[in-house]
Amino acid sequence: MIELKNITKIYEINKSDKVIALDDINLRIKEGELVVLKGASGSGKSTILSLIAALSKPTSGEVIVDTKKISKLPDNFASVYRRDNIGFIFQKYNLIPTLSVKENIILPLVPLNPDASDIQNKLDIVTNRFNISHKENAIVRNLSGGEQQRVAIARANINDPKIIIADEPTANLDEKLSLHFIEILRELKVLNKTIVVATHDPLFFGLDFVDREIEVHNGKIVV
Amino acid sequence: MKNKINLYLIEYAINAILRQKAKSFFIVFVFTLLTFLLTSVFFITSSLKYELDATVDSLPQIIVQKIKAGRHYDIDEDVVDTLLGIEGVEDAVARVWGYYYFANAGVNFSVVGLNEYEKQYKNSFEKIVKKIELEKDDKSFMVVGRGVQKVMNKSYYKEYFNFIKPDGTLKKVNLGGVFDADTELESNDVIVMSKDSAREIFDMDEDKATDVVLKVANPKEVRTIVSKIKSIYPDTRIITSDDLKVSYQNIFDYKSGIFLALFIVSLFTFFIIIYDKSSGLSSEEKREIGILKAIGWRVDDVLKEKFYESFIISFFAYTLGVGLAFVFVYMFQAPLLQNIFVGYSQLKTDFELPFVFDFQTLFLVFFLSVPIYIGATIIPSWKVATLEADEVIR
Amino acid sequence: MILTPEVLAILILDVIFAFFGVIAFILSIKIFFGWNLESVSQGQYKLEKQSFLTATIIKYIFVIKVPLFLFFIFTLDKISHVLTGAMCAAGVVDATPYGTYLFILKIINLYLFAYWLVLHNEDIKHENQPYTKLKFGIFIIAFFFFIAELVVEWVMFASINVDKMVSCCGTLYSSSADSAISSIFSIDTPILLSLFYGNFFFIVVFYFLKRKYLFAISNLLFIVISIISLIVFFGTYIYELPTHHCPFCFLQSDYYYVGYLIYTLLFIGTFYGIVTGFVKESEKNITKNYKISMMFNFFYVILLSLYPIVFYIKNGVWL
Repeated sequence: MIELKNITKIYEINKSDKVIALDDINLRIKEGELVVLKGASGSGKSTILSLIAALSKPTSGEVIVDTKKISKLPDNFASVYRRDNIGFIFQKYNLIPTLSVKENIILPLVPLNPDASDIQNKLDIVTNRFNISHKENAIVRNLSGGEQQRVAIARANINDPKIIIADEPTANLDEKLSLHFIEILRELKVLNKTIVVATHDPLFFGLDFVDREIEVHNGKIVV
Repeated sequence: MKNKINLYLIEYAINAILRQKAKSFFIVFVFTLLTFLLTSVFFITSSLKYELDATVDSLPQIIVQKIKAGRHYDIDEDVVDTLLGIEGVEDAVARVWGYYYFANAGVNFSVVGLNEYEKQYKNSFEKIVKKIELEKDDKSFMVVGRGVQKVMNKSYYKEYFNFIKPDGTLKKVNLGGVFDADTELESNDVIVMSKDSAREIFDMDEDKATDVVLKVANPKEVRTIVSKIKSIYPDTRIITSDDLKVSYQNIFDYKSGIFLALFIVSLFTFFIIIYDKSSGLSSEEKREIGILKAIGWRVDDVLKEKFYESFIISFFAYTLGVGLAFVFVYMFQAPLLQNIFVGYSQLKTDFELPFVFDFQTLFLVFFLSVPIYIGATIIPSWKVATLEADEVIR
Repeated sequence: MILTPEVLAILILDVIFAFFGVIAFILSIKIFFGWNLESVSQGQYKLEKQSFLTATIIKYIFVIKVPLFLFFIFTLDKISHVLTGAMCAAGVVDATPYGTYLFILKIINLYLFAYWLVLHNEDIKHENQPYTKLKFGIFIIAFFFFIAELVVEWVMFASINVDKMVSCCGTLYSSSADSAISSIFSIDTPILLSLFYGNFFFIVVFYFLKRKYLFAISNLLFIVISIISLIVFFGTYIYELPTHHCPFCFLQSDYYYVGYLIYTLLFIGTFYGIVTGFVKESEKNITKNYKISMMFNFFYVILLSLYPIVFYIKNGVWL
């Protein structure tokens, strides 16, 4: 379902300074798989995630998602692809603390200007699934760590995306919240979502519901 | 593509503005101040123009002055008869008037002499001549404007006033009444007395006058008549009411032009400050945009949101500035600012600015403020919207 | 030199437009020559980002241009009070040799910018952005018209001489005058009317036959012919005065501001007509454009025709 074909990504800091983030890698992820990318910071695992999310374009090679070539989509189309297919879970939740739970969750939908009933439907689905419907109107900064986590995940799921991407999701969390997150991942797997997690948190290693662990080192996939 | 207004986006924009309280407040404050000043100036000039147009209409259509050595000189009264003979001239009156400088208060009074047996060239004068005898029982009387009365009272002249004649002697003129003219602007500093008294005060010969005013039957013929007068009396300067109107308009435009020039300078400074402030993006703001793009906002969406932000701020400040100007000018009568236009003189500050509603002024101020602000935010907004999201959310 | 606050405001905005216009122009050139959607170089990514800036600038200029145009007409009207002899905006336009050209340029630019925006919107609907080079190429050309307008505007306002007598529409818009406009009066009325209605007839025919290019071209022609007919013939029936040909006076309250309706109908009708032929949109959109154009043009013709007809009914004679 997700395929990275001969992907090389080179970041040009300036004319003479180049960083090779990924070096001719090939990767295939099947639908419904939960894949953990492990490696140290700077190994290139975050780059793989941005490529899958069409947040950046490869220097050479193709990224194909669901038979569609997404590597060279113009920005507007890339964003639409992202909105419809990808749920992004960030390192620090990246919620807007002064807005309410509802306002944060529907954020991906705002530019679409949908009907109020449509929004409410989608909202109800995710708030119920991730157990924060009772806090819909609460201001995010007043929530506990666990609740904020669930808001972030609800936001990633508002458009019912096929692919969930998590970049170091537990980096700033204590063990309790980390384990809580892993439980939610299990739920998402049950929903048959394709999940790619980039992390160097050992809690993720050796989990029973993880289909594959892929090690990334210096821009290459370690076989 | 849904064309109805995106309320969610507007809400988000408002929230974004409120999230940056300090910066937003600063912008709104400066912007409001600028629009406030600008609108006040335009309101004042509109009102004054309106007042003056009304005044000018009550002024004589043609004024004939004698010019000698490039300067204004007393004109012979018998010129009136010749002028009456010109086709189209309905009426001609010789005027005696001048400025009397009252040293104590440091102000000038406009002294106008009337002859009760003549036809007056102004309705208000007609009324006075009918009501009050300007010479009675060997005493001279005068009618004064309210401003004059106030000034005289301050110097303890209540029932009469002593004019100092050019030869140093005094002329006592009694107060016969106070002016109730149609427009305060013209009557405030005016004193009306008999022609003889006026001549005395200015030391003018009996057969001379300050100038001659003409009334013309057909206003469209003014230009023709003017040229006829010039051919008969080449040593005269002729001023028509149209000339006055145009010159007043030009003075106003000139003064508001200077003000506008200053305003432009401040506007460009503002432009640069805005640009500077918006370009220097906090890492906070960059991250926020990165998140928006990661969750599926297109560059066009971010640009739209930024535009909503700029528009909301500028339009809000514009409305506030205009509203405040309204209150300032028409309710508080624009203290201080008014003086730039009316001329700082104690006598002239005492009248009410009429309320003149001018759509064009509102549009003018709008065009001078909102598009400029939005223009200043184009490049910074674009820079933000096209940030590489993946570099920002690490 | 005439320097009222309104004129200053217009001139200031012109400077700002020029500033942004030049930026857009430079970027357009870069994009026109360097655009390659397939490329993954940094250069191409930069161009993609810059194309957003150019589009934003053009949108900004257009959005302000439209109300500014109205404001411009109001300003001319206001200035007419200070110019001896001028009784409405027409007098100011003809106070200098540049006035008419300025007007024509302004109208051309409105069409050009609107067209660019339609083309742009269509372009970004497609993944391969097929019209990018085309639209930036068009802007490069449009830029010259745009700058010409700004320059002429500055020159015109700078050269208005308050003391010089100006002729008003009565003398200007008559066959005896020798201004550029007067040549249109030498056309016989029956010929002019047959051109006008004939052109409209062709528009209708091409609408039903769905011949895009012919439809668009006849709309283009219609702009010119209808304005001439308006000035020479229909205007006189709005004013009910055979010598009053002014194209501005019926924008005023005395005529219930009908001028705005007339010009808006004409602009939208002809603009969408041109777009049908010169922007390749989806079937659905093209049909929509056809309909809008036909409808607005139709109402324009009806509105204009009503004036002489009603006049005849009321008075039993033609002017």
